[in-house]
Amino acid sequence: MTEKKGHFDEDLDLRISPKFSEDLNTLFKPQFSVPSEVDRAIMDQVNRRLVQRHWRHRVFRHVSIWRIAAAAAVIIFAFSLNLTQKSGPITSRSVLVEAQAVDIDRNGRVDILDAFKLARHIESAESTDKSLSLVSSTGQALQKQGWDINGDGLVDRNDVDLVALSAVRLDKNKGVL
Amino acid sequence: MDSDQELIELVNEGDPDAFEALYRRYRDWVYRLAWRFTGNQQDALDVLQETFTYLLGKFPGFSLTASMTTFLYPVVKHLSIAARSKSLRFTSDEEILNEITVPVSKETQNSRSELAAVLTVLPDEQREVLLMRFVDNMTLQEIAKALNIPIGTVKSRLHHALKTLRHDRRTQDYFLE
Repeated sequence: MTEKKGHFDEDLDLRISPKFSEDLNTLFKPQFSVPSEVDRAIMDQVNRRLVQRHWRHRVFRHVSIWRIAAAAAVIIFAFSLNLTQKSGPITSRSVLVEAQAVDIDRNGRVDILDAFKLARHIESAESTDKSLSLVSSTGQALQKQGWDINGDGLVDRNDVDLVALSAVRLDKNKGVL
Repeated sequence: MDSDQELIELVNEGDPDAFEALYRRYRDWVYRLAWRFTGNQQDALDVLQETFTYLLGKFPGFSLTASMTTFLYPVVKHLSIAARSKSLRFTSDEEILNEITVPVSKETQNSRSELAAVLTVLPDEQREVLLMRFVDNMTLQEIAKALNIPIGTVKSRLHHALKTLRHDRRTQDYFLE
């Protein structure tokens, strides 16, 4: 449909009697007003949706905070018990976790004595083999026993330190392995 | 009194009272518009409920970019057309005009009946713009936005509608010299 667009008198509606608007409003005024039941039905719906959503939002937000807090607590607790096992690059923490399993003297617990024993083994080995690398026979023997705690291919003071560190941490947890 | 924008922000936060304030503010406007489109009370009430259900569904996250009437007009119109086709009652503003019966005085009756008669002569789109301007009190910009048409088209339709009324001897008394 095409509409003729020409010059419009934009003030035309300003020169109209207010009675025009009044009569139009009367013509198009519904004979009945909105019944109160309709108001109630709409407001019931509003209350159901908004109030429920409002509370659900609040509860969800509340629960979420607690969930996050609980998750954080579990992670911290897991770390404190060294329950997590990390793969990938060797870090002092991951090595420390592994060190728990090193019971050098096989007495069923990891303590400072294990560190001393490992240190003695290393000292005695040093007197026969300077390098203690995995390629050397002494180093291989020590490595086979699982004493290369940090996995660097050498059984040396660093491994002793890790066992000692592990023993100290375990001691705080009453030696529980 | 809170602005529409302030009320909407409160409803977005889940405040049912703010929604009720919006409902009270636009209830009669929506109902009258729906009645104008559907031509009967029951359909108009259904459209009223559906309109506010639709609005409610927009929350949370609703933002008003134009006036509330500009937002609601196409919703009411669309729902009214759907209600009309569903109930197979094809009454509309034109038929309402044909059924005007109970004015106050003989003189008023005559002038309104004549206004109604002339309005029925107008093309639908011209009558729609005229009613939006003088019954719904919408600005030309709001009408353009609500109908999604250029403002020039709104001016054109309004101009032609008023010109017809002005040149008809039954309605020319509404126009000031």
